[in-house]
Formats: sequence, structure tokens, C-alpha cells
Amino acid sequence: MMPDPGLHRFMTTPACRILLGSMHITYPGAEAPDRSRFVRSLGLRIHLHEWGDPAAPPIVCTHGFADHGRGFDLLAPLLAHAGYRVIAVDARGHGDSDRPDAYHWFPEVLDLVQVLRDLGEPAHVVGHSRGGGQATDAAGVYPAGVRKLVNLDGFGPPSDEGFEVPGRPRENLTAPGQMARFLDWRSRAAGRETFRPCATLEELAARRKEQNPRLSDEWLLYFAAAGARRTEHGWAWKVDPFAGRGMGPFRPDWIAPNWRRLRVPMLAVIGSEPDTWGPLPEPLLGERLSNVPDLERCVVEDAGHFMHMEQPERTARILLDFLEGGA
Amino acid sequence: MRMLESGRHRVALHEIRDGGGPTLLWLHALGGSARDAARAGSHWPGRVLALDFPDHGASPRPLGGVYTCELFAADADAALEAAGDACLAGEGVGAYVALLLAGTRADRVPAALLLPGRGLDGGGPEPDFTVDHATHDAHVAEVLARNDARDEHELDPMLYLVERDLRPPDYALQFAEAARRLLLGEDGGLRPPWWRACREAPDSESAPADLPAALARLLAHGLR
Repeated sequence: MMPDPGLHRFMTTPACRILLGSMHITYPGAEAPDRSRFVRSLGLRIHLHEWGDPAAPPIVCTHGFADHGRGFDLLAPLLAHAGYRVIAVDARGHGDSDRPDAYHWFPEVLDLVQVLRDLGEPAHVVGHSRGGGQATDAAGVYPAGVRKLVNLDGFGPPSDEGFEVPGRPRENLTAPGQMARFLDWRSRAAGRETFRPCATLEELAARRKEQNPRLSDEWLLYFAAAGARRTEHGWAWKVDPFAGRGMGPFRPDWIAPNWRRLRVPMLAVIGSEPDTWGPLPEPLLGERLSNVPDLERCVVEDAGHFMHMEQPERTARILLDFLEGGA
Repeated sequence: MRMLESGRHRVALHEIRDGGGPTLLWLHALGGSARDAARAGSHWPGRVLALDFPDHGASPRPLGGVYTCELFAADADAALEAAGDACLAGEGVGAYVALLLAGTRADRVPAALLLPGRGLDGGGPEPDFTVDHATHDAHVAEVLARNDARDEHELDPMLYLVERDLRPPDYALQFAEAARRLLLGEDGGLRPPWWRACREAPDSESAPADLPAALARLLAHGLR
């Protein structure tokens, strides 16, 4: 596969070659975490990245599927400099957290509850995409641990087949057909260490660009350097290839009624630009959000699904206004 | 007994009885084990195999607290793979797992017998958004506190997930319709909505509550 031409030009500069060799890839505004540690949850070690004064009020950040906690390297420092302790979670099977033997939604919500319990004081919670949905459910299950909730475009898929992704065909399978497909996938995937590796980090970033076309080549390279590792077959994302696929009855209309139980204020954020993984069509999004008792909504201009990576300053301003405003 | 690899699970498959003729694969109830299949052994002329679900009997506790009936069915599929064609008999949660597997692997499962027991009901046909969540939240807190303590000798508290999982009747019916033959063990007791939906499948029939009689009916289908 040919890398993106812009990315390729960037990669072939001598300076970049040297940087790649030493893995010290930088990106304007991005700051690596000040500290990192583990919390135990359901027998797993969940990895946390931290920025800012350890005594400051905490904000817990959760990433989306196939991402990792270092995706907050742009947003977290802005929040930390505004007087917060920011804790970004590597979800189980992602980043440097342990891999479980199987995956399912609710235990991942409980991981987040465990992180909140570990803090020993209520925290603001900011979740992106799938992590936003899990943060919302964690706030429902454990309201004592959450002050305010920010959901960054994590309002569930439009249908039970998820978002439409170019080049990914859809099939109408019966439940037993889906189950047979799941069983076949499970026996094949169980032994895989990683998703398909690339010879170079640049290629890995370029491949990611196909699904996240709005993210800049430079940022994707930084994001890949922080979330990939070198294997004997090349560079691969740290994410567990066993993650993110399950089997069971699921209906999108089961998602939002659960939000009626929320006892904390929620800020619902989307980007102004259409993107692969969101936002939902407005009538559907409005209908889902109508279940949230205490809701504010906001749009980040000139951003798609990854608003905190595309427009970190704007996103931080919106978050801080919400977290510091009102009751 | 031998250990099978199933995804990242390791599960124990026991040979309860050796013999020719159709194989019976027994799937125990929540909190049970393969030992429960001893009751069936003397009433089945062929080989009787029994699986320990994860964190039950000789099967180790999986890492991460994830339990679903579909994952149990995947483990039972590994047992079926090892057994060759087999009739299934399941109690409680094992009955629902038997339904899932009989519908998914109809080519390998001539018939399945579903019997009541712990874990039969699941959490209902769809989420109940009207419930007061305080009870559930208190339970979750208790589960997490018990997990912090991690007593290896008691069942994993996270197994409560397979007592509360959603089992929509139309979902169950798709498996029932795909199965070759379902025998629903009826004893006059109340049955959950998913079970009642299975009664509507063309190839399902009620079976006697009496285990020897039910197994005789299962065997007859297994011999066809």
C-alpha cells in the first residue's frame, strides 16, 4: 500500500528519519504524561496516564475503540495547565493495560468505576466515542464518583450494525449466522498477537489515515508512536486484536433510555464536520439525548469525530466552561 | 478429563461414560459442574461427555470478569468439536447455551434437551428502564468489593452477568428455528419469555420432566 503522499514527504525528511530512529517524535502542543501507574480491576492491571498537580481536582479521560490514553496528549495538558489533575485511562486490551480473556461492554464500564473508586474523590469524566458511552454508563452506575460528565461524540451506533464504513460490506445474517461467524472469528483471532503489522511506523500511521482522514499526517505519526510497538513482524498497534468484537443480542434503542438515570450534568459534544464514526444524524442524536435529565450541548467548529485531537484548544475551552460553570 | 482451548479460555471436558452409539454432551447449570451429568449417565446408552463452564468444576477462572451465554456457547462449541456429533442436554444456563449451540451447529446437533435449573431465566427479554437502579448499583458495588478481595474458592461474583443477561424472545426463536430438534423439559413450572418463544418453533416439542423419559426421547431423535 502506498503511504499518503504528504505523510511520505514528511517522513522522508532527514530530521524525521532521525526522530523516527530514536522514537522521540514530537507534535506541537502534545505533552507526554507526567506520571503513569496501574489500577487493578477484575483481575486486570489498568494503565493510567497522569498530567498535572496530583492534589488538583481530577478529570478522568477515556478513549475510543482501538485508540489509547495517549490520544489525550493534546487535550490533557491544556486541562492540567488550567488547574486539574488529568488521568487518561488505557482501556483493557488497549495501550499498556492487560488483555482479558474475552470482551464485553459492561466489565469495561466497571473498569472505569474501579478507576473512579481508586481516586477516592468524585471526578469529572470526559469520554470519547466508545469511551464516552462507557463513561456515561459508569456515571449511571456510580454517580457518587462523578461530578460532571462530558461525552465527546459517544452516543452509540446508528444501527445494530454500527456506522457505515466505506469498503466494509454489510450482510443480513440471522442470529445463528452471526453466532457461527463469531465462533469462526474467535478461534482464528485468539492466537493473534496484534492486528496486521506494518514495516514502518509511517505505514501504520498512513493506514490509520484511511479510517481517520481528517487527522493530520503529523499527528497520526505521533499517535502511532505512542500507541504502537515493534514486533518481530513490524510495527503494530498495542490494541488486542481480540478486543471489540462480541456476540449477543443488542439493539441501538436500548442505549439511550438508560441515560434517564443519570444524576450528573452531561455536556454532549460533537464536531461540526461529518466524519466516519459520527456524528449521528441530528434527529436520532436529539432523540437519544432527550433522555438526559441535565443536558448541555456543544459543537466544536472545524472538527470531526476526533475533536480533541483536531481542535484541542477549542475543545478544552468548551470543557472548562462547562466544568467550571453553573452549579 | 481433558482441557480444551476455546478462544483464550481453557475448559475441562469430562468423559462421564464410555460407550457406542450417539454421544450426549451435558451442559450444567450456573454454579454446577460436569459432575451433575452423573444423573444422566445410567440412562444414556452411548458416550456421555460433560463440560465445566469457565470458573466451574475444573475449568479455571478467566481473566477479566467477562461472562456471557454466547461465550459459554463458544466453549461448548469447542467441546462439540472434540465430541463429534452430539445430542445436547442442558440445565439452567446450560439449557439456554444448548439452545444457542443447537441453532448455530444444527449440522452437528441432532437434538437438544432443555431442562430447568439455575440461570435459566436470564435478565429478561429487554432492559427494564423503569427499575430503581439503587438495588443494581448496590449489587455492582458489592461485586466489585468482593472482586477486590478475590476469594478463589467461591464462584466469581461477575458470574452474576449470566443471570442478568438479556434474552429477547425473537433472538431465542431464531436459534430454535435453526435447530434440528428441541425438547423442552416441562414440569409445570413457570418458564421465561425466551423459553416460551421456543415453544413456537416448528421443530420443538415438550419433553417429560422425568429425566430418564426425557433422555429416551432425546436418544430417539439422536438415532434418526
